[in-house]
Amino acid sequence: MSKSPDSVERFNYLYGLINLAVVFCIVWVLWFLFMHADGVMKLYTPMYGFSLVAILLASVILLGKVLGWPADPGQALPAGKAIGQGILGVVLSLAIMYVVYFLVFWLFIGKLGVAYFSPLALVAGGGTGAEPWNAREWSSTAILYFAAAFLWWALVWDLAFGRWPWQKDSCWVVGWSRLFVVSFFSMVTFAVLFHPHVCMLFPEAQKMAGANPWWEVWASTKSAFFSLGVVLCTLFWVVFSDLFWEGRPWSWLERGGEANLAKGIVTFLGTLFLGLVLVYVFTNIFNAIWMEPYQGGQYTDGPDWRFIHMGEISGFCVLFAFIWKYYFNNWPNGLPLLLRAIVRSVLGVAGGLLIYWFYYSPLAVLVLGKVPGRAQPDDQPLVWTLLFLAVLLMQVQFFHNWPLRRAESQGK
Amino acid sequence: MKRRDFLKGMAATGAAASVTGGLGVISKSAHAGDKIDFGQIKGLEVEVLSETSWFDNDIFKKNLMDYGGAMTNQYTIPWDWNNAGGYMTKITVYPLQGDPKIILMDTGWNNDWVDYIYDEKSDMGKLLTSGKVDTMVLSHWHLDHFWGIESTLKRSPKITMYAPKTYFPEDMKLLKGGKNVAKTKDGKEVVVNKNTVPHQGKLVLTDPKGDKGDGIYRLMPGVALKMYDVPILLRVRGENVMYFNVKDKGIVTVTGCCHPGILTLNAWARRNVKDYKPYGCYGGLHITLFETWDPKFDDIIKGVKAFQLKKVGCNHCTGWIWGEKASAAGVPIVKGTDKYKSYKRTSTVAKASNVFLTNGDTVVF
Repeated sequence: MSKSPDSVERFNYLYGLINLAVVFCIVWVLWFLFMHADGVMKLYTPMYGFSLVAILLASVILLGKVLGWPADPGQALPAGKAIGQGILGVVLSLAIMYVVYFLVFWLFIGKLGVAYFSPLALVAGGGTGAEPWNAREWSSTAILYFAAAFLWWALVWDLAFGRWPWQKDSCWVVGWSRLFVVSFFSMVTFAVLFHPHVCMLFPEAQKMAGANPWWEVWASTKSAFFSLGVVLCTLFWVVFSDLFWEGRPWSWLERGGEANLAKGIVTFLGTLFLGLVLVYVFTNIFNAIWMEPYQGGQYTDGPDWRFIHMGEISGFCVLFAFIWKYYFNNWPNGLPLLLRAIVRSVLGVAGGLLIYWFYYSPLAVLVLGKVPGRAQPDDQPLVWTLLFLAVLLMQVQFFHNWPLRRAESQGK
Repeated sequence: MKRRDFLKGMAATGAAASVTGGLGVISKSAHAGDKIDFGQIKGLEVEVLSETSWFDNDIFKKNLMDYGGAMTNQYTIPWDWNNAGGYMTKITVYPLQGDPKIILMDTGWNNDWVDYIYDEKSDMGKLLTSGKVDTMVLSHWHLDHFWGIESTLKRSPKITMYAPKTYFPEDMKLLKGGKNVAKTKDGKEVVVNKNTVPHQGKLVLTDPKGDKGDGIYRLMPGVALKMYDVPILLRVRGENVMYFNVKDKGIVTVTGCCHPGILTLNAWARRNVKDYKPYGCYGGLHITLFETWDPKFDDIIKGVKAFQLKKVGCNHCTGWIWGEKASAAGVPIVKGTDKYKSYKRTSTVAKASNVFLTNGDTVVF
């Protein structure tokens, strides 16, 4: 029986619960400050807030999973060091978010290259509907899609290829090399899965710049919510196999504890295949609940909404997987691998559904200020989910999960 | 059968197959014997009292942008009052037997504009005052459909009103005679709406169950109202939709904003209404109201064509862009006239293509 890496002599689950409650409150305060309909900044327009949160999460992932900073987030640190490093990580990720969002997308790429990444360029270009409100929503949609492609590649590369092919190089070489390769594949993915949608956002579709959405023949929609749904359903398996299955079955292809090309390709294709299977499963469940959707249908009848909704449910499950792994020590750890993977997966799905229930319950109406009901086109459950994930990952990566995990010298 | 096969089947086999065989895949809710028969009418005339809820789209969007966007509570935005208009529709129903009945749908936003429409551009003011219009259907609680309620109530305080049960406290406060206040960014309080005439008539709060548990409220033979409990932008919930069964023609829907989606309305009717035959629609279809586009709007054009409606009368939140694209794609859009140009104010987005039935236009079903 392989031993779980999460095995510890003693884990205080009550502390985990308290930790979760505190993080929930922090997320709520942030939500009220930045997103809540009756809050302060009201950035949940929705796409502007959505894209900002997605880039924030991408920045956290960029630091932790791509660049590999800090080097060993699993290591317990003394409180002072954990707090110092945590604050530095938060500041760095916010700085990256600002630079990427406003300087790279709005002022550099948008103004000098691809106009739809910058509301400033869109307004300057003029034309029907090109005023600040629409322009910001259009550019936010494009940035969000790029963030989605980046998150997929960042997470799947970490699981699939690990340090390959730079395992013999320094961590700096590994980090920066991974950044370039992840960025490259993100651009290709964005071009194929999302760019056709963005080119159709404008009253005059940019047919000379973007292909007709090729997925329409299967998806009965031209919306890239199809692509987003597939990506998020794939990420479900990436995260589940990484956290709950402890890297299996993909890690069985490793040689000498390091990933290789074969493992990378098999993992990428394997998770993608499982993602498509999940799309198929969700499609049938939704059809059983709401009957067949049809092209042009709105709310629950719309194929586009069905795809984004399966992505949202996957997102809820992913969020719960992180919560379970880091706040509840990935229980159970004493069982054989297969059994503990099954138990955790079942718990992960149940936990995702619990979050689903919360999000669509009157409680969320009260806490998050959302309108009751589902499928409102401007209701994007992923905004809250990604914000929660960003805060959670900041604690886990930058604060080394302090105060839940503390160095031996301070006592457990 | 998969969706694409279903849609291809619809396109290929024509209207008859569309409403019988091909539609079977999404028609598993009601058996033929269980379907609703709410009667028939001889005909229907819809007059556009006002579809210009606001006159300048950019100002409306700026108000939205400055105060938090589409998910914000509509009562917290100090809207530009000079930009406000309103949505009201006069519906004349010709029953199979007896005199026509007139129903008012919605009551606009800016009282000055609503009064102008009622008294100078239509006979609705007189009809309300004389009691010849005794029923108003409130489609939903959005500002441009409801905040002008004082104009209707001061002419007919006892009017029977059908309104979605899913109101918020501010809605009922206004209906019962009150005002609501929003704050500007510099903290100044602004009255965003007011009503000095409390509603005294019968108020039917509608829910998705309907009056007999079959999903509809029967207003008269051939006329039904259905409430869709859907979340809507600006913190509003639920929309009332009217269904008319016109003899020898088919089902016509009349909507305020049609947030649930025009195809959803017809899909429901197809599943639940006896001898369903698609015919037409009138109202806002809630598509490109902000002069933007999205690939799913192309989906809607394809879907509307597949459902084979014969007459599509659209305006308001449908968006001129969608109207023009749909018309070019072969959707039977009913063209409007230039009457709206004789009104004291016009929308900045009105186009010469006349794909909107706009202020003063009439459509007959």
